[in-house]
Amino acid sequence: MNDLAIHTGGLQKFFEKTHAVDGLDLNVPRGAVYAFLGRNGAGKTTTIKTLLGLVRPTGGSAQVLGYDIGRDLIAILERTGFVPENKTLFDSLTPAQMVRFNQGYFPKWSRERVACYADLFEIPMDTRFARLSLGNKTKVCHLLALCQGADLLILDEPTAGLDPVMTDLLLRVLVEDHVSEGKTVFLSSHQITEVERIADWVGIIEKGRILLETRLEEIRKNYRLVRAAAGSPPAVSSPDLVAAQRMDNFWSYLVSRGAEEFAAMLSAKGITILEISPVSLGEVFLGLTRKEVPCISGKPGKIPVPA
Amino acid sequence: MYLWKAWQDSRTRVVVYILAALCVGGLSGLQVVSYANYHLQQMATPPRWLARLSWNFYMLITFEALGAWVIPYAKVAALLAGLSLGASGVGGEYGAGTMPFVLTRPAPRRNLLFTDWAIGLTAIVIVVGSLAFCVFPFLCYARAQGPGNVLIALPGLWVWAAAIYGLASFTTLVAGSASKGLVLSAAVVLTYGFLPDALHSWWHVEALLKARDWTLQIFNGGWDVFFNGASVQFHWGAIAFWLAVAAGFLGASVAWIQYREL
Repeated sequence: MNDLAIHTGGLQKFFEKTHAVDGLDLNVPRGAVYAFLGRNGAGKTTTIKTLLGLVRPTGGSAQVLGYDIGRDLIAILERTGFVPENKTLFDSLTPAQMVRFNQGYFPKWSRERVACYADLFEIPMDTRFARLSLGNKTKVCHLLALCQGADLLILDEPTAGLDPVMTDLLLRVLVEDHVSEGKTVFLSSHQITEVERIADWVGIIEKGRILLETRLEEIRKNYRLVRAAAGSPPAVSSPDLVAAQRMDNFWSYLVSRGAEEFAAMLSAKGITILEISPVSLGEVFLGLTRKEVPCISGKPGKIPVPA
Repeated sequence: MYLWKAWQDSRTRVVVYILAALCVGGLSGLQVVSYANYHLQQMATPPRWLARLSWNFYMLITFEALGAWVIPYAKVAALLAGLSLGASGVGGEYGAGTMPFVLTRPAPRRNLLFTDWAIGLTAIVIVVGSLAFCVFPFLCYARAQGPGNVLIALPGLWVWAAAIYGLASFTTLVAGSASKGLVLSAAVVLTYGFLPDALHSWWHVEALLKARDWTLQIFNGGWDVFFNGASVQFHWGAIAFWLAVAAGFLGASVAWIQYREL
């Protein structure tokens, strides 16, 4: 059996002039919680739609749970639970009726889990979907995805509309009931602090390409932010330099490993090192995807090209 | 699954249509019996050729007249049922935003349409049929001969309604919204009805007019019998045409849902 729950190789999806996904290489290990992060329009939802057969790729290849998305879509859908970004289900049906509608599609459907999660998530099962709040709509989407016995859960903005208590509960359910059984969770979200709690892999996408794909543990262990004071842009070169940003006369360097060696290299060039600090996932995300805009002072915050 | 959901969505509408059809059918039956009786009473001295005919033949005329009364109603019923049921099918899921959910259920996409059509066509057969079948009590009351003559129009009505259903279902899929699909399909029906007449009036183009009239033979009522003594016709060619149109729309819809992206 393939060790990867999702694998894409040079995946492309073009919409006329827009390159929504542009040579995406994704490797999602089985049994992992994989956070798929990116700015608005980075290509996250298009990637998800491609994996689920809702759009056809322009080029490249993709396998989900070892099945090719072009040939074995039904097999993929039987084994994949999906919570869409817009959380829209049938307005005229109640959650109980939606369970009835959905269960016939999935041989591994669990009625016990329906009862358990309906109670746990406090879902009003006999109220028409149209009358539910956004939070309850999100919960119903999760209920349907969690109860189908899927090997892979693809969750697009999973916590939209959920209060902090319910968000906490959902994240625990994902880890304790699903990942613990060897199932894979692939989630796309802008809520980086929430994601950071449960993810063990992270992929950051920008303009349809993967900028970074690594274990979260790797980020915690090796990624560092080196802050330095320098008047003019120092010419630095290192394979470990991920991003650099200027704020007036101060520079922030995000390095993926060897922060001490990198700082020593800067010092050798006469640059004063202020601190070397661990980074959060949010800082890595910002470091990689931050837009070039004038700083509040009006001066442009240019990132120097490593020599 | 989707069959159950499609029925959930359609059942109220279908029940209302059936009740309406039963009422209209019953009223038109009553109307025709009154009409026939009136004719009989008016004919104090019936023409010799008519006087020689049996009572049953009068009743046959009545049935044909019944056909002439019922068919216009049935035509409207078939049109409304076809349009509204077609526009409320799976194509409406695009506009409702539920298509990502529907298409990520593990089932071939064509099955969605087949399921939808199964429900839609069954509803149409029942609705249109109930309009025509409800005249049976009147036929039985009159101890009539050849009640099948009235029902001979039914297959034509059914396939026509199926074609309208297919049109509405396809336009809804293409437009991605039930309301837009309904408007588009109504425009197509009106164009089909009026364009040949307009072309004939303006530029004396007859081909389209002839073609349209040939396809609409299915609505020819029983008045030919009354006036010309003609036998009731079963218009195989026109029925096959509308059947082909319905099948064509089903095929086009399957191709569309198979290849359309979200």
